[in-house]
Amino acid sequence: MELYKKTAAELAEMLAAGSCTATEIVEDIYAQIDAVEGQVDAYLTLCREDALAQAAEIDRRRAAGEKLPPLAGVPIAVKDNICTEGVSTTCASKMLENFVPPYSATVVDKLRQAGLITIGKVNMDEFAMGSSCENSHFKKTKNPHDLTRVPGGSSGGSAAALAACEATLALGSDTGGSIRQPAAFCGVVGLKPTYGAVSRYGLVAFASSLDQIGPMGRSCEDVAMLLSVITSKDELDATSTDCAHRDDYRAYLDQDVAGMRVGLPKEYFGEGVSQEVQSAVLAAADTYRRLGAEVVEVSIPSTAHALSAYYIISSAEASSNLARFDGVKYGYRAKEYESLTDMYVNSRTEGFGDEVKRRIMLGTYVLSSGYFDAYYKKGKAFQRQLCCEFEQAFAQCDFLITPTVPTTAFKLGENVDDPVAMYKSDICTVTVNIAGLPALSMPCGKDAAGLPIGMQLIGPKFGEDKLLSAGHAYEKATGWHYALPQIG
Amino acid sequence: MEYEVVIGLEVHAELSTESKIYCSCKNAFGGMVNAQVCPICLGMPGTLPTLNKQVVDYAILMGHATNCKINNITKQDRKNYMYPDLPKAYQISQYDIPICEHGYVDFMLNGEKKRVGITRIHIEEDAGKLIHDEKFSGSLVDFNRCGVPLIEIVSEPDIRSSEEAKAYLETIKSILQYLDISDCKMQEGSLRCDVNVSIMPKGSKEFGTRCEMKNVNTFSGAVRAIEYEIARQIELVESGGTVEQQTRRWDDAKGVSVLLRSKEDAQDYRYFPEPDLRAIYVTEEHVAELKAQIPELPNQKIERYMKDCQLPQIEATLLAENIQKSKFFEACLAIGGVSPRSISNWILGDISKTLNERNCEIDELALQPTALIEMIKLAEAKTISSTAAKTVLEEIIDCADADVAAIVKEKGLAQISDTSALEGVVEQVLADNAKAVEDYHNGKTNVLGFLVGQCMRLSKGKGNPAVLRELLEKKI
Amino acid sequence: MDIDIRHIAKLANLKIEEKDFARYQKQMQDIIAMVESLPEQKDFDQRPDPADAMELREDIVKPSMPREKLLAGAPQVEAGCVVVPKTVSE
Repeated sequence: MELYKKTAAELAEMLAAGSCTATEIVEDIYAQIDAVEGQVDAYLTLCREDALAQAAEIDRRRAAGEKLPPLAGVPIAVKDNICTEGVSTTCASKMLENFVPPYSATVVDKLRQAGLITIGKVNMDEFAMGSSCENSHFKKTKNPHDLTRVPGGSSGGSAAALAACEATLALGSDTGGSIRQPAAFCGVVGLKPTYGAVSRYGLVAFASSLDQIGPMGRSCEDVAMLLSVITSKDELDATSTDCAHRDDYRAYLDQDVAGMRVGLPKEYFGEGVSQEVQSAVLAAADTYRRLGAEVVEVSIPSTAHALSAYYIISSAEASSNLARFDGVKYGYRAKEYESLTDMYVNSRTEGFGDEVKRRIMLGTYVLSSGYFDAYYKKGKAFQRQLCCEFEQAFAQCDFLITPTVPTTAFKLGENVDDPVAMYKSDICTVTVNIAGLPALSMPCGKDAAGLPIGMQLIGPKFGEDKLLSAGHAYEKATGWHYALPQIG
Repeated sequence: MEYEVVIGLEVHAELSTESKIYCSCKNAFGGMVNAQVCPICLGMPGTLPTLNKQVVDYAILMGHATNCKINNITKQDRKNYMYPDLPKAYQISQYDIPICEHGYVDFMLNGEKKRVGITRIHIEEDAGKLIHDEKFSGSLVDFNRCGVPLIEIVSEPDIRSSEEAKAYLETIKSILQYLDISDCKMQEGSLRCDVNVSIMPKGSKEFGTRCEMKNVNTFSGAVRAIEYEIARQIELVESGGTVEQQTRRWDDAKGVSVLLRSKEDAQDYRYFPEPDLRAIYVTEEHVAELKAQIPELPNQKIERYMKDCQLPQIEATLLAENIQKSKFFEACLAIGGVSPRSISNWILGDISKTLNERNCEIDELALQPTALIEMIKLAEAKTISSTAAKTVLEEIIDCADADVAAIVKEKGLAQISDTSALEGVVEQVLADNAKAVEDYHNGKTNVLGFLVGQCMRLSKGKGNPAVLRELLEKKI
Repeated sequence: MDIDIRHIAKLANLKIEEKDFARYQKQMQDIIAMVESLPEQKDFDQRPDPADAMELREDIVKPSMPREKLLAGAPQVEAGCVVVPKTVSE
């Protein structure tokens, strides 16, 4: 039946109809993992025993006639910076190599309540800092569409596992594009929700004011179903809100795009964006025009400066968030030290990788005495400016369409020595985090080499329903469905 | 040269909320190490703070009580530094927008009113505790105190002596107690302070360089630390040196302060807005509601005691500053029937002597206001002598259901004022002391006191001395 | 502009090898240069916005976590406490 290739919506239907069991699905997924994981390297931890036990329990309950939530029995991969009680949560760092949290993230509790089955924890850039998954301490995940290329990052493991059909759904986290960029590189769908739409409790913080957990899948419908499970206001996260929270995003999928206004922000189609990517995204805009939407040109003038503001705010917050990794209470402690300071310095120097150290250094610098106003405060002021510009744009259109990344997936090792070049691949995605907006990345074609191209739909705050329905309309109009590439 | 001393104080008061400031763990002192902790207290990866509403309310109450402006739209900031007792490696505190600012407190000292400005009051979390024990190769960390809510009350540099500092601290402490927002138990560390001291030539307008002393855990320690620091700075200046900006650590056991860090090593706390919390917004209505909840504070009580009870200022202050004594005093007043001055005299006299001996507060005694009033009534009516009254107090002080009348009867403490009953005694004493009687007639009238004493002895202390004196004068 | 890598590393409790100073200098300067192009925002009001206010938590006690569970992953535990190199209390 090739259950591992099915979408979550298809599996939900089959499970409800009794035409397959959760156990069959989970076994099929692990069979696929056994077949391709050696080449893809998406997973850091597999939870085979627990997953099968959970599947059996769901099958028992369903057989007993219990009415279960729609996704009960559907397999999911969880990014390794989301805490799972009793299951190691490493953030792909030596620092947390042996860290087994005694608590679960709120989203993980929600997955369990909804009967989703966690297949394993997936690879990422260390502490979510990176755009290629190459900053993992443990392994380099490959892009299933071309094993010599990166899957993107930091949620590269999530995207690659989906692309290789090693999971049906996945959770990622997005601070500057970490869900959308790998989704684009791997040809899958990823949503970065509005800041506050999903609880961050249990997500190991990178930059608290930008981080969001988000759903990933192989179709907009799947992403809508998973978003319905994880979104909520959480009493454990003071930054979470329940404005306009939808219980079932799938119910909004068929909103008509005819009559909608689609904005093309001109700053996202300029220099540095490859011709192939531009054409594919503009073609998608044409599709919307054909569906009866009006395409209008809009402007987000500050886009060019967003990257700077992003690096200030994210590094500053990261330097503080990661100071707790000191070898005292959890995580790595150096073997050799003479004094307390020694223990701190040695544990942190040995436990963190280069990119993490670089960002901690940058963040420490921008917050240090005398520089706060010049950098952090300036970044926050810019944030307000950018929010205003987006508000003005959304007065003219329902959502924006842009490339997710200026290029398709690059080669492993291509950008490792030039952080600024690497950072530039985030140019289209970071504005969304700074402004706290929702954005969806979904496939909109392939380049000449057959690599997926992603487009990004950006909505106003809590406009996830609009984005998902627009994405769904595009999939229907183009007859698009995900095709598993030949791996290896 | 004469110097003027400039002192500013930062008081940290632990708030007596039920739960901690950023998580729902119990806010309690003592108990087993690391027993009142959760992943949030330990700053474990992914955990987030949620702010306790009661902490905000308590801070606003303190702000109202110290005449502060309340910033009803505020936020929290991170103060970054690494220490093993600070699990997140930052303290959630407040930086540029404290919840309360620009206030003052007044208190009386040596008959004069003194006003000390309050720069700010902000909310923050306490850190854990390090345990140093020779048994272990390293230091142990107990995280129980992590997340205990604190308010930091920062004074203006308006204090000019250790005596003023002590009076200021007593005032702050009594306000906290009247508001019932802090246990104020110094021995448990629920009230601590940092002391900033500088000196300048008398008459100068320009403050000298200040030094900060940390780890001052008692009020008497604050006095000693200030005096030590004044002496240290004067000696430095007189010997031709200059005072350098330093942070020093007060060692109360040794009575000395030691250098913790100099200006060059000053910590760079890299404050920035706490991104895990949104804005704190308290409506104007709620701010006003809290203001209406402020009880009568020590200053108002002092005035009332002086005006309505005719107490001298020093006694009114001593009663008002100690919430337990003040409560007891007012309970006695409510019963009434005796003069407020007598009540005050007993509380501040014999009862306080016992409190000092036992190092406890008046509410820890079994003594009941009703019993004290009964006793004072008998004394005022001369039914018992002042000596007998002290004996009665000894009986009732540790007895919650004392019957004063029964004690007086049982111990035979009632005074005999009946002249017919005392005539025999007087005649006997006059007969036994012929020499004294002769002296009296020779003009040495002061022997009468001696004769009254003899009568008292003969009556086993029960004779009313005034009546005896009268009889002696008549019969001699 | 010169960035004092040694000082920043000390603040961050990291050891940066001297041979890497130049590389750090360069990389941080590149990013800082990017930052300096950020337009100045005049009259930016940093005060928090009441519309962005959070709900506060009620003062209700909930159970803590058993310390054995909480400290299970701590590098060194003795007598129910984590152990660090001996230090003088501040």
